Amino acid sequence: MIEIDTDPLLYLDQKPEVKARFAAMKQRPVVLSVKNLYKKFQSQSGTCTALKDVSFDVYRREFMCVIGPSGCGKSTLIRILAGLESSSDGQVLLDGNPVAGPGPDRGMVFQSYTLFPWLTVKQNVMFGPRMSGQRGTSAESDARQWIDLVGLSKFENSYPHQLSGGMKQRVAIARALANRPRILLMDEPFGALDAQTRCQMQSYLLQIWKNLDITILFITHDLDEAAFLADRILVLKANPGEVNEIIEVPVPRPRLPAQIITPEFIATKYRIDQLIHPNHGNEEDALPFPRMTEQGDDVE
Amino acid sequence: MKAAFRGEKRSREPWFAVRRELAPNRAAFLTVFSFALPLIVWSAVSYLPFLWHPDVRLQVSADRENVTTVYVAGDRVSEEFFPEFQEAVRAQNQPLESALTTFDPAVEPENGATVRRGNKKTLRHLVPVLIANGWLTEEQAKDDAAIYGAWETIAVGKKLPTNPSLSKENLDIVAKNWEAMRRVSPTYDADRFVSVPLLGLVPQGKPANPDYLPPPHEVVVSGIREFTRPAEAERPSMWQRVGHSITIVFGGFLLAALVGVPIGVLCGTYPVFSKLVEPFTDFFRYMPAPTFSTLLVAIFLANDAPKIALVFVGTIFQLVLVVANTTRRLDLPLLEAAQTLGARQSQLVTHVVIPGILPNLYNDLRILLGWAWTWLVIAELVGVKSGLTEFIETQGRWRNFDSVYPVIILIGFIGFFTDQILALLRRVFFPWTSEGPSLLDNPVMRAILFVPRWLMNAAAERLPYTPAEPITKPNEA
Repeated sequence: MIEIDTDPLLYLDQKPEVKARFAAMKQRPVVLSVKNLYKKFQSQSGTCTALKDVSFDVYRREFMCVIGPSGCGKSTLIRILAGLESSSDGQVLLDGNPVAGPGPDRGMVFQSYTLFPWLTVKQNVMFGPRMSGQRGTSAESDARQWIDLVGLSKFENSYPHQLSGGMKQRVAIARALANRPRILLMDEPFGALDAQTRCQMQSYLLQIWKNLDITILFITHDLDEAAFLADRILVLKANPGEVNEIIEVPVPRPRLPAQIITPEFIATKYRIDQLIHPNHGNEEDALPFPRMTEQGDDVE
Repeated sequence: MKAAFRGEKRSREPWFAVRRELAPNRAAFLTVFSFALPLIVWSAVSYLPFLWHPDVRLQVSADRENVTTVYVAGDRVSEEFFPEFQEAVRAQNQPLESALTTFDPAVEPENGATVRRGNKKTLRHLVPVLIANGWLTEEQAKDDAAIYGAWETIAVGKKLPTNPSLSKENLDIVAKNWEAMRRVSPTYDADRFVSVPLLGLVPQGKPANPDYLPPPHEVVVSGIREFTRPAEAERPSMWQRVGHSITIVFGGFLLAALVGVPIGVLCGTYPVFSKLVEPFTDFFRYMPAPTFSTLLVAIFLANDAPKIALVFVGTIFQLVLVVANTTRRLDLPLLEAAQTLGARQSQLVTHVVIPGILPNLYNDLRILLGWAWTWLVIAELVGVKSGLTEFIETQGRWRNFDSVYPVIILIGFIGFFTDQILALLRRVFFPWTSEGPSLLDNPVMRAILFVPRWLMNAAAERLPYTPAEPITKPNEA
């Protein structure tokens, strides 16, 4: 057995400046407040509880990630927040007002590409404003500004099928932001992208977030992504989906790719892994595989 | 430059590979060939004498005693019956031969008048051969003197018919008959004619297609004749018939689309409408539209209205279900995204559902237009027969299948090319579904352009190669 002399979790202890940052964040107003949220599905085999007593607050301009094992109800949670599904019990408050149904005050970016294929990039971005009756040149110049923000000015007249996956998701972000929502809900938005594009998109997203008055709730299953992006990480348990822990990420901002080798970053990932796979690396987690090589033909 | 003109390199891919796309040129070649193959088979069956000819077309015919069925030259008889027919005539000839050589022209037998009448018929059995060889004109078909002369010409061997020629057996019969005829009178005399029975010509014929499959050239000739025939009273020209048929098909189809598309979209959008409309529609579409034809005549009376109504009834139920299904296939996330962007329920329909389904709806309507065409024939039989169907019906009853085929093929062409043009236009209407339109992306256009492109490339291969001139002249200074 290899002895590890330091507990990696020590690095989750916050330095004074990080502590001060979180204290300041919690002074800010709560944008989204989830109180005792339940979601139950009726199935043939009985009632299935997808979410059980989920409560948390998201502060203004906070970047919160939600992570959990598969089947923990991450997507159900964000769909309830967006108003696309109803909850069985509990409350969702946006700026203190209960949420009923989908609305432009909560922008959403989906994992699948949801750009309207019959509209150009610019028309896609103008979709939300058009729904609320904005038209004309001011709406158009507004849209241009959002397209500039995601760096796609050259493509404003292209159709979605002419764009790469990463570009499509950037347009989707611009489209959601064009409604000036209070909070941006992102449901594994980079899940369908290749690893390289995903890294680039994470940096883009942080830049956008920094330059705007926007709060982000981001669902992911990728430990690196959560640790790299989030202020706080909401870790869910599976069956039923319950809040396990809210990790305050001690990695200082601004986040840089080089920070992924800092002890704080690694400790954060280690903690998430511990919560999601409590038996990871233990005897009971090993595969019951029979030996299939000759005696003496061993590797470390 | 030359290499680019020659086009793609010869493909190294195998012709047969499971689910592997063929090289574009091969695909185009096969598309051409898929049209050429039926033509080749049809031509082979029609023109190669050793292939499948179940019938014999008579060139020389004969009467049989005590048989009422009369075949004349040009008729078809089956391959099995033909030798039987020949044997019957031979058997009939056999007992006559000795009497023919030994009779005395001066003696008038009892039944002389009857025999002479029969002999004059036999005389004329040579007429089709004579006309085909150009010895006689159609008007001379009853000119017995000329026919008599022709018998002599053949019998003495002055000149022999070549197309069709006479078999040796028949030449022999001509000679024997002529010998008897000559003894009575060397030139034609209506009153002085052989009074013992002449030998009948043995039927001759050549293998032929059955009448329901005329050879291609006959179909082409009849097609040109029918399509260029001007309109007469009570008999519209072919193009007027085509126009009429198109009116019926498109009239019924457009009405069905006008009514069915909104219903289908509503069903696909709101489960309320879906459950209210679709079960009954699903049931109704199994009732064949033609069963309503008399009902439709009772409601809409004669003329075109019941015909258009039949196409309508035959199309609309299918259309509603197909459109509803297409509407339901719209990506649900698109609707959810629109909702999170602030679209209200009514805006979802106008700004997401309708634009989102348009390209697929367009395709559905293309397919349903094909459906509408299949109702054409039945629709045109409803009430007063009309249009192309009336022509096909009448000509088919007279067994003029050479005139029927061009019309059937024309209906196929109209349907096929409408569909292909609509498929090309899809690219123009919906540029966002794919890259920009290119004629060569369409397999049919590739096939049509295949031969000229191949000829161009072949010509390019034979051109002497001259390297391109440098555009900038070398600096002289």
